[in-house]
Amino acid sequence: MESIHDVEVIIEAVLFASGDPVSLEKLAEIIGHDKKTTKSLMTNLMYKYQNASRGIMIREIDNAYQLCTKPELDEYIIKLGSVRKKQGLTPAAYETLSIIAYNQPVTRAAIEQIRGVSCESVLMKLVERNLVREAGRDDSPGKPKLYETTEEFLRVFGFSSIKDLPALELNEVQEVMENMPID
Amino acid sequence: MKSALTEACTLKLEKFEGPFDLLFYLIEKNQIDLYDIPILEITDQYMDYLNAMQELDLEIASEFLVMAATLLHIKSRMLLPSREPVAEDEVDPREELILKLVEYKKYKEFSQVLREREQKWERVHYKLPEPLPQIETEYELDVSPAILRSVFADVMKRYREKMNDVSMKMKRILNQEKVSLKSKIREILDLLGRGLRICFSKIYNTREKSRLEVATGFLAMLQVVKVGRAEVEQPTAFGEIFVTPVASAHGSENVRFDEGE
Repeated sequence: MESIHDVEVIIEAVLFASGDPVSLEKLAEIIGHDKKTTKSLMTNLMYKYQNASRGIMIREIDNAYQLCTKPELDEYIIKLGSVRKKQGLTPAAYETLSIIAYNQPVTRAAIEQIRGVSCESVLMKLVERNLVREAGRDDSPGKPKLYETTEEFLRVFGFSSIKDLPALELNEVQEVMENMPID
Repeated sequence: MKSALTEACTLKLEKFEGPFDLLFYLIEKNQIDLYDIPILEITDQYMDYLNAMQELDLEIASEFLVMAATLLHIKSRMLLPSREPVAEDEVDPREELILKLVEYKKYKEFSQVLREREQKWERVHYKLPEPLPQIETEYELDVSPAILRSVFADVMKRYREKMNDVSMKMKRILNQEKVSLKSKIREILDLLGRGLRICFSKIYNTREKSRLEVATGFLAMLQVVKVGRAEVEQPTAFGEIFVTPVASAHGSENVRFDEGE
């Protein structure tokens, strides 16, 4: 049986060679441990990378792991000259994305209800950018399409999973309404 | 009547994503408590904004008008004295609007969070996957001459079928070609009719004509010789072919030729 160190070395090599995210299942299979052990190994290794004086780190995206450069080194990497900036999203796109992230899967009508504006073209753009995808149909009349966020969404905004989203305290509204004076 | 607000709106017209967005702008600008909106003021300012848009001949999206109607409705309800004393469980007319605004605000704030996170994470770079070697499994060959023979027979059979198929298609294409033997015979007779000695390669060669035309020309020449209208000479093998008109037939063009193709 190898030591923790040996296993970490293997993981590092595998992630480097892959380039793409490697799923927890695959890593567990490669190093020959169960998923739970592998998960804690990965958490440990990610922490090590984060704190070591190294230029790369490990990201977790939807239960898969990927090597990437540390964000603060961007200014140097740009000097390589092959880095292309993507076009940013519109404010409407960010709003729509926020609503989908917290309510997924969600219908277009529900998004429009919250935003108070039509979202059709914004949704199309988000689907085009692969940040949002269709997720079947709602059971309500007319069987409207449902939308959810993608792995690309997690990657772009640096979440490891949907559970990683900061909690929105919507209950606060209820409390406020209860305490509101009627004038 | 250009108020300060009108000017502000002129600058920020593009900014609003919808009626809620505009309401937020007004609420923040006036530093109003979201949970206790002075509906009269806000409605007036909101209407000012719509008027400003109209003055600038901008098309106002219907959502903005719906919100205007909602605001005016709430305003009127709050202005009208109710005949009956206020009931205990009477709902504040602003409640629905405030609930929506609060919810919208959460997402609007989160969209700012998203933007910041995006800015951080777009500075991260990845490596393309390595072209990993495919694992090759070697198979042991276990083939008897009999199997090889039957496989070979199969291949040949398929090849023949395919070739037949192609030649069938070719025939169809040939049939559709415009080059006909008849027209070539006419061409040759025309030249011979002027009492000329024809150099075959001068009139039909693959540099100027299609292969089909040259071949058809050759057949036409043979046909003309066959019916005795011309004589052919080829001094050397693979050399030039000379076609000379036969004098006796000169002038009579009515000989019929078979239309063999």
